[in-house]
Amino acid sequence: MEGVLWYLLASSRGGSTRARIIRALEERPRNPNQLAEKLGMDYTTIRHHLDVLVENNVLRRSGDEYAAVYLFTDRTEAHWETVEEVLETVEGDE
Amino acid sequence: MDVWLGAARAAAALNVVLLVGLGYVWLDNYREHRARHTLGLLVFAVLLFVQNVLWLYFYVLHPDFIAWFVNSGTDVRAGVTLLCGLELGALVFLGRITFT
Repeated sequence: MEGVLWYLLASSRGGSTRARIIRALEERPRNPNQLAEKLGMDYTTIRHHLDVLVENNVLRRSGDEYAAVYLFTDRTEAHWETVEEVLETVEGDE
Repeated sequence: MDVWLGAARAAAALNVVLLVGLGYVWLDNYREHRARHTLGLLVFAVLLFVQNVLWLYFYVLHPDFIAWFVNSGTDVRAGVTLLCGLELGALVFLGRITFT
């Protein structure tokens, strides 16, 4: 899991954006529209990154309905120290 | 040209291209975040890059190596080609994760 977090948030091309999504979801669960608005980014871009995070078991959807919000998986919660470490590294110079 | 030699050259060349792309992403991210994880990937990309440039040198520019290669049995030609071919498969998978 640690490796996955470092890879997805610090070492791959969309890492910075995914790190911002994680921070926004840490404040409170949000749906893709709310995330797009909060981060000032395109809805499809947000959806793409959310899909990547779900595929890698970092996030889960609260349900199947259209307005479903995204939550952290138990696995992510269990590794929250690593998440913090990665986020602090990624946010370091911004 | 021997089909195995052609395949080996193509695989080594594609590996070089993929490693430049991966190395670019990792260098960019390392400059930005200074994460040790990213640095590890960057070192990995540089070493594999050198390895594939060496292979290309042997496959394209080294007459003795080429003569040995084309006069070897199919097992040797296929086996040596797979060294770069399997690496190409591995790098394609890594690329699919890295460029998302």
